[in-house]
Amino acid sequence: MSAYVLEMKGITKTFPGVVALDDVTLSVEKGTVHALIGENGAGKSTLMKILNGVYTATKGELFLEGQPLHLQGVRDAQEKGISTIFQEFNLINALSVAENIFLGRFEGKGQIKWNRINRKARELLEKLGFNFDVSKPVGKLSTAEKQLVEIAKALSYDAKIIVMDEPTSSLTKKEIELFFPIIEKLRKGGITVIYISHKLDEIFHICDRVSIMRDGKLVGESLVSEITRERIIELMVGRSMEMEYPARTASPGEPVLEVKNLTREPLLHDISFTLHKGEILGIAGLVGAGRTELAETIFGAAVADSGSIEINGKAVSIRSTMDGKANSIGMVTEDRKETGLVLDMSVTRNITVTKLDEVTTGIVLSKQKEGEVASEYVQKLNIKTPSINQTLYNLSGGNQQKVVLSKWLFSNVEILILDEPTRGIDVGAKYEIYCLMNELTEQGKSIIMISSELPEVLSMSDRILVMHKGMIKGELTGAKMTADNVMQLAID
Amino acid sequence: MNRTRVIDIIRSNGILLVILLLIIVTGITERNFLTVGNLLNVLRQVAVVGIVACGMTYCIIGGAFDLSVGSVVSLAGVITILNINAGTNEYVAVAYGLLAGVATGVINGTLISLINGRSSEAFIVTYGMQVVVASIALFPSNGLFIAGRVSDGFFKSLGQGFMPIVIFLGIATIMQFVLMKTKYGRHMCFIGSNMDVAKMSGINVKLNRISYFALSGLLAGIGGIVLCSRVTSSNPTAGLNYEMDVIAAVVVGGTPMSGGKGSVYRTVVGAVIIGIMSNALNILGITAYHQQIVKGLLIIAAVAMDILNKQISLREMTHAKVYVG
Repeated sequence: MSAYVLEMKGITKTFPGVVALDDVTLSVEKGTVHALIGENGAGKSTLMKILNGVYTATKGELFLEGQPLHLQGVRDAQEKGISTIFQEFNLINALSVAENIFLGRFEGKGQIKWNRINRKARELLEKLGFNFDVSKPVGKLSTAEKQLVEIAKALSYDAKIIVMDEPTSSLTKKEIELFFPIIEKLRKGGITVIYISHKLDEIFHICDRVSIMRDGKLVGESLVSEITRERIIELMVGRSMEMEYPARTASPGEPVLEVKNLTREPLLHDISFTLHKGEILGIAGLVGAGRTELAETIFGAAVADSGSIEINGKAVSIRSTMDGKANSIGMVTEDRKETGLVLDMSVTRNITVTKLDEVTTGIVLSKQKEGEVASEYVQKLNIKTPSINQTLYNLSGGNQQKVVLSKWLFSNVEILILDEPTRGIDVGAKYEIYCLMNELTEQGKSIIMISSELPEVLSMSDRILVMHKGMIKGELTGAKMTADNVMQLAID
Repeated sequence: MNRTRVIDIIRSNGILLVILLLIIVTGITERNFLTVGNLLNVLRQVAVVGIVACGMTYCIIGGAFDLSVGSVVSLAGVITILNINAGTNEYVAVAYGLLAGVATGVINGTLISLINGRSSEAFIVTYGMQVVVASIALFPSNGLFIAGRVSDGFFKSLGQGFMPIVIFLGIATIMQFVLMKTKYGRHMCFIGSNMDVAKMSGINVKLNRISYFALSGLLAGIGGIVLCSRVTSSNPTAGLNYEMDVIAAVVVGGTPMSGGKGSVYRTVVGAVIIGIMSNALNILGITAYHQQIVKGLLIIAAVAMDILNKQISLREMTHAKVYVG
């Protein structure tokens, strides 16, 4: 018998006109946490979709515990012991925890034996070291708890391998700390975890081995203990990158935006701060601290109960997003797919929507002008798309994010609010976005950046406000901008 | 032309091809069918439904729909005829009729916008307004038919001869232009595709949405007045079940109920198709009762086609290359 629980040998997958995977061989040892890392589009997802039965490989073989493996679909993979936990959970909110775990596999003829199902569900959760009401509907659980339900579901299939796709991306810092021991428990139980993540810190924290992919190929594999952070990044992007973050180049000038005593019950209490010209003002804090709500209130997507906003020394009334735009404020939302872009419209239409007047002749939208604008931004921001008429579905997260940025750059706003500007995008695109932020502030634009990634906030901000329970709990400048200081202010 | 292209054409025009077959068969077997006179007759018959359907197209592309149009058709006719009979200036009487339509639309739109409603809320609100407006149309004449004391003039000309066709196609052309070529139309596509994205792009979602319902009401008013003018009388239940015929025209034309895209021209085609089909079935001697079955099946087929197309393109999309950076 092989020492490997899973071997994927010479996997090639082609789609019409594209080679998504090119002769990839991945071997995973039993009971390890194996990281799979690569930029978006490197082929990680395709490889995992072959492993969980969504796709069939064009060429190559799979072996599970030394035996050839042929998968007929997701359910078949699950039953053979390969479960996948996607970023978007595969749970039904209206059903209970136990129902979700055993959905489609209820015992009993005619009458479902709820007691047994509930007991079994409870046992699975206890195995993971948790104990909560299994009759509670999943919709009422926190993200972290939902993830537990997914893991319990995988265990209920006697999973040998659990694939986790960006498992911590929507967890709070606290939840992540609780999440790592669960991985540890799985490992001790002999379960193999394939861990897909963009977060290098996590990989160094909990993974045993790391495989790095780029452009559909496996470009490196190593024990985590034998590789450096810099080397991983270098392999991922295919070039050596000096740093993950460029140095700040602009220096802040006079005040541009002054927020005074802004209150929006029950989410925001008495918030005052100033944003300067050419400044990147970081806003840190835990998820739920009111950061996004503050951004929405400044932009006009929500209306404050009291308080005032001054722009360039003049009091303004912002009661709608139209007011926000009219006062030269733009907002890149944290969820580009839900609130930032219309994915089945073209690159062009998504960029020009904020300022259609600019591309209009008389009352008629000019196709030519729209095209020129779109081409300009595609070039300027290095958006990789085959054409400006391409729908956004087929663009990677990084390129989609550049389109969101383009739409606000096109409307030429002076104050740009970026809510999690680099969430779910790869290292290369991140770096480009940071450089763009530098460039914008050099031009005299001002940026408010909300971010849950501490290194990002610490490296890119000129100043940091830390929010907690709807209030600004502290401001950090200069040498005081450290991870410790931020976290101390962010937590209770 | 290879095999996949043929399949593509069948896929995107399936319903049209079936109807084309019906037209050809009827055209061969019945001499009177494919004549200019008969086809103009069909256009005249569908003009009123078509006018109302243009407004419905905006509502649907904008991410909702309007069930109150049938009642507005009735009410606009009743108000106009009552005013004309009372000696009001014809133009003013028509304006009153239109005003009733716009007012209904503004109420619909305001209520739906206020609660940030989507399709399901639009269903309830506009259905409620349908019931209310239908009842308002009934009480001036105690539910009775009113003969119009109409002399030759502006009002009478609206429903006579080619006028309904001219109004229908004129409105459709303007609305198609606005939809495809102006900022207003582009905003409509964004609002219908994703209201949150539209809002976060600084578009005045509420006002725009109210305008779609106001336009829908206005066009239902025009439809009602043209209808009255044609028969120079008003019937307080003239618009009964009209909304369904109107939605059928939009859907058969191929504008998806899910919003965000579509075209007014397609709605014109949809209305004409339904008209031609009824006409062909009439000529073939199929009774009105049986025709309803055919119409129902046609609508289901159109929606099924739309969903099928969506699934296929989604599959194509997930299998297509992702462009990375």
